[in-house]
Amino acid sequence: MARSRPHPQEPDALRGSVDLLVLKALVLQPMHGWGIGLRIQQISRGALDVNQGSLYPALQRLEYRGWIESEWRATENNRRARYYSLTRQGRKALGDEVERWKRFVEAIEAVLDS
Amino acid sequence: MSWMKGLTARARALLAPRASESRMDEEFRFHVEMETTRLIATGVPEFEARRRAMVLFGGMDVHREAMRDGRGTRWLTDLGADLRQGWRAMRRNPGFAIAVAITLGVGIGVNGIVFGFVNGFLLRPVPARDPQRLVALFSRDMQSGRTDDLGYQDYLDFRDQSGIFDGIAQSNGVPVNLVINAPSSTAPAVADMVWGELVTENYFSVLGTQPTLGRFFTASDAPRGANPYVVLSYDSWRRRFQGANVIGQIVRINGSPFTIVAVAAPGFKGMRQFAFWPELWVPVGMHGVVLPGSDKMLQTRAGSGWMSTFGRLRAGWSIERTASAASLFAKQLEAAYPDTNRQASTMVTPAATGFVNPSFIKPATLRLSSFLGIFASLMTLLIICANLANLQVARASARAGEIGIRLALGCSRGRLTRQMVAESLVFILPGALLAFGLVSLSPVIESQLMPRMQFQVGPDARPDVRVIAFTAAVSVLAAVLFGLVPALRAARRNIAPTLVRVIGARRPTLRTPGMRAVLVVSQLAASVVLLVGGMLFARSFANARESDVGFDRSNRLIASVNLDLQSYDDNRGLNFYETVLARVRGLPSVVSATWATPVPFDTTYQDSIALWVEGARTNSKTETIAIPVTTVTDAFVGAMGLRLEAGRDFGVTDSAGRPGVMIVSRSLATRLWPDQDAIDQHARVGGASGPEVRVIGVVGDATFAALGPTTESHVYVPMRQRYSGRQTLVVQTRDTPMSLLPQVRTTVAAVDPALPLYGAMTLEQSVENGLNPSMVAAVVAGLFAGLALLIAAVGLYAVVANSVTERTREIGVRLALGSTPRGVLRLVLAGSLRLGAWGLAIGLLASVAVARVLGGLLYGVSTTDPLTFAVVPIALALVVLIATYLPARRAVGLNPTTALRNE
Repeated sequence: MARSRPHPQEPDALRGSVDLLVLKALVLQPMHGWGIGLRIQQISRGALDVNQGSLYPALQRLEYRGWIESEWRATENNRRARYYSLTRQGRKALGDEVERWKRFVEAIEAVLDS
Repeated sequence: MSWMKGLTARARALLAPRASESRMDEEFRFHVEMETTRLIATGVPEFEARRRAMVLFGGMDVHREAMRDGRGTRWLTDLGADLRQGWRAMRRNPGFAIAVAITLGVGIGVNGIVFGFVNGFLLRPVPARDPQRLVALFSRDMQSGRTDDLGYQDYLDFRDQSGIFDGIAQSNGVPVNLVINAPSSTAPAVADMVWGELVTENYFSVLGTQPTLGRFFTASDAPRGANPYVVLSYDSWRRRFQGANVIGQIVRINGSPFTIVAVAAPGFKGMRQFAFWPELWVPVGMHGVVLPGSDKMLQTRAGSGWMSTFGRLRAGWSIERTASAASLFAKQLEAAYPDTNRQASTMVTPAATGFVNPSFIKPATLRLSSFLGIFASLMTLLIICANLANLQVARASARAGEIGIRLALGCSRGRLTRQMVAESLVFILPGALLAFGLVSLSPVIESQLMPRMQFQVGPDARPDVRVIAFTAAVSVLAAVLFGLVPALRAARRNIAPTLVRVIGARRPTLRTPGMRAVLVVSQLAASVVLLVGGMLFARSFANARESDVGFDRSNRLIASVNLDLQSYDDNRGLNFYETVLARVRGLPSVVSATWATPVPFDTTYQDSIALWVEGARTNSKTETIAIPVTTVTDAFVGAMGLRLEAGRDFGVTDSAGRPGVMIVSRSLATRLWPDQDAIDQHARVGGASGPEVRVIGVVGDATFAALGPTTESHVYVPMRQRYSGRQTLVVQTRDTPMSLLPQVRTTVAAVDPALPLYGAMTLEQSVENGLNPSMVAAVVAGLFAGLALLIAAVGLYAVVANSVTERTREIGVRLALGSTPRGVLRLVLAGSLRLGAWGLAIGLLASVAVARVLGGLLYGVSTTDPLTFAVVPIALALVVLIATYLPARRAVGLNPTTALRNE
């Protein structure tokens, strides 16, 4: 089993980035947890291989915030799974988050380039 | 609304925690299965695929915990579990729970009630606009430093010429005869004597309050003397008018019509602290009607005033600036009126909560005594909490094993503390509820404790926001003391020793109770003192009730009139008295009747006569002796049931123009004419050259007041020779006295329909009223004694329970070695009886000293009353035995094998 601290407390920046990735993954269509993880892996070409289970606290957090919602649905193989989809507020938040992330990256680049 | 969706998701997690858990588990399972399937598809063998999927997922329990924390409901489920555990603990031990609830409830409740009284007296601002800006103004004599009410003429100058105040007003209490016409013309009018206030016309504008109904009178309404307006108090309006719309209605005050213009705000009782609650306010312009003969009172200056003065600070002016401006202005007045205003300066005091002349009651004394009251009740609560905390510690040590194991298994100390606090909460809540119940009874308690007079007095101790906040704060304090301290102690325990104890290798040390014993002994001693005091007061009250007051109080009705208020002159007054008396004596069930003033136990009126007696020791200045006097009619001695010891009763012939006569009490006769026959002795009224009065009778001593220095010396004179405008009718009847009242009312109304008959009650009730202070003392001392005893019992219980727990092993050994249960019981009892004996001894010694101080307040009870000093030790012994027996029973019931194994 992967080693992890008893109460995983990621730094804010990292937590923010997980949120961003989840929101981004859900832009096109509703997906279940495993699908979201797979999608993040694919988009990032395996670079961002997060501990899969830590996806779920993030999903719960985003749902409480009202950015995503969830419902039981059948998969293509006719299995019951929890599907997550973006809410209107979530869509807006994604825009803001992307904006903020870009500013952050620019700032870091500016520091590194100087 | 997306945020609503978020909220619903949260609410679901909160309301259905199990559903959240199963959803989480299903999602995790699904995830791992999908991952496994994917891995198998890439060619990994099934077993290996499952293992890898699990590794990729990470620690499932870790993620579970993270989600549970994320739900933010953990504290709630924990609290629920803790409360349930507390509830079970309470169910297991209902006796303990009830004891805790009652002691804490009463302890907190007493605090709330005491604070409520202090709040009513000192802290609650008058319901006025910006009460912090109100100040009282007094005239201060620069030589003596004495403060007095400002004369009316000085007040007018301050108001109109000084420019120091943003409005300044005066007020004073007056009794008036109030007649209210019934709504229908056939019903009889209601007449009563009530107490109101005569106030300057600007009174309500200075206060800036809003009326409940109508519009307050102002200075610009009508010319002075032509403004017969009256403002009713809220209470009076509710009681006398049932809250009807009374604006514009006419009532008669002292026979003159007045228009009701407003009803004051609820809770408004005027500006004077420690005064009665006025029922109505009338403008000073009507003083001629409201207070006949008061013209002179309005011509006063400097400190000879008759009304109290208060004003509003000008915007931006501090109280200091106002005070110095006022004394400067007083200097100008002194220069202008040197005759009256010599040495007259002023004093300004805050009046946000009403005011009282500081020369009468020192503000510091008042604050000190109030805070002593609060301090004493807080100390009581502290002791209660200490006892209960002790008890909790006893229970916690019984659970030492459980706690040790939990700590060893990794339960955090914070979590353990939370659990114990939550358990304590379960115990405290019923207590706090009881406390709030008691506090809400404050008005009832107040009405029971305050004497019944013609007017209402008291602090108005209703629980307002401040009282409720205070009670809540005290409850929290109690919860912390009761719950947190033992919890912290328990959580601080070292794991090793407790565990060792559980395993059974360690001998317990026999600790001496030490501080706890001292605490219990002092509590027992205190309850002994209170028990003795309460019992002495109760016996004194019972004695006073049954004592011989020197007159016959049975089957007698009393009711009073005040003719002075109705502008009667002496002739018309005498006529009235005689006509009424003759008609009352003619009523069927009446045995005898008389007018008298003041009657015994009249709490509102006293009168005295200055007698010059040849050869008697006298006041050097006037050479007279002041003696309490009662003015009466013929056949008085019989109607009042006094014992005639010599001479005769007054007759109809003892009237004006005839030789002056008087009847004296036995004590006075012995004092003035020792070793002589008092009959036919002479005295002169007012001085050596005054009119002569001759003794025609001697009666037995009668008690006139229940408290204070009792002078049995009393003089009775006929009212035809000494007129009094206020009189009380005393009627002896064969029936129950109150059943005669309607007939007496009708009789009086037939002679003067506008004259109220007030203070109607049986003579017996009047005596009881007079005894009110000793009744209050008995009740209060009794209540506190009961509380103290309860506290001491809980304290003793805790100490014994603690020692039994700590000595379990010792007791086990003793039992194993052949000691009988009786022997063990004796062992436990001996310890607590020793404490009880100490408490009793110290308490009794202190009681003797306290009883000596109380001596002056007791009636017919010796300060070493044998009954009291016999009953109190027995009561205490009983309580000690009960408080010991309950925990001792556990020691006796111990099975030696278990006891030893338990260690």
